[in-house]
Amino acid sequence: MSSGSSLQGYVDRRVLLILQDGRAIVGVMAGYDQKSNVVLSDSKERVYSMEDGVEEIPLGLYLVKGDMIILIGEIDEAIDQSVDLSTIRAEPLPPIRYDAQ
Amino acid sequence: MDPSSSGIQEPFDLIRLSLSERVFVKLRGDREMTGILHAYDGHMNLILSDVEETIMIVDENTAGGQGAVSVAKRKMDMLFVRGDGVILVSPPSRT
Amino acid sequence: MLIFSVFKTLTDQQVTVELKNDLSITGVLKSVDQFLNIRLDNIKVLDEARHPHMMAVKNCFIRGSVVRYVQLPAEHVDTQLLEDATRREAQNQVKR
Repeated sequence: MSSGSSLQGYVDRRVLLILQDGRAIVGVMAGYDQKSNVVLSDSKERVYSMEDGVEEIPLGLYLVKGDMIILIGEIDEAIDQSVDLSTIRAEPLPPIRYDAQ
Repeated sequence: MDPSSSGIQEPFDLIRLSLSERVFVKLRGDREMTGILHAYDGHMNLILSDVEETIMIVDENTAGGQGAVSVAKRKMDMLFVRGDGVILVSPPSRT
Repeated sequence: MLIFSVFKTLTDQQVTVELKNDLSITGVLKSVDQFLNIRLDNIKVLDEARHPHMMAVKNCFIRGSVVRYVQLPAEHVDTQLLEDATRREAQNQVKR
């Protein structure tokens, strides 16, 4: 994900990263480089399932390779805190498939 | 027949001559569509209007492993189609 | 370059981006770059009950290569202009 300049606005913000394999990771964007590699601080993976509520797995300081990232979203803290993740039931996002998609 | 008389010398000429005509597009993921072609580029990125998309959905969970096929259709006014999903573009049938 | 220019003319318009993982996101197009990476504001995920993952996200940056379709506002697309520009670009390809 080149054109790193457009990520400038996300530094020090809480963001959601969606990855090629469908994983969702939240954290504070500590920095990025021209290849859109991203460093998150205080990050957690949010694991979705239909059986249980969303499970948050702490990852701490985390480096995500730019190639893996399909979407970066800025999180509205007020909305995020108003959501009780334990009540959310959903399938994990499907992975991106370039072959058959 | 002299190929230059039809104005078609290379594959993209076929697409160029289909501008403002209804074309059929086959896409990855068991999708196809028809729409009026307004723009394309060398990546086969397309812009189409009055689009009808057809998605073939194979349900592999049916008994006997044969898989029932269902079809979903939807219409879209104006659509950009990313070229990496395009398998073929076919000009309108002249009937 | 042609398609990039088209997207630039649609800045501040409402579009729906459909990704190759079947996620559809509607929002206001804020910017686009040469790779067709897209920035959307005021986003809303279609079928939010099935995809609550982005409930708290207000704007996002989408990698161009994972886009399947973008639904455009037809009233803001000049099809005649597009066709002329496409023919011109095809002509330039040949000359090169």
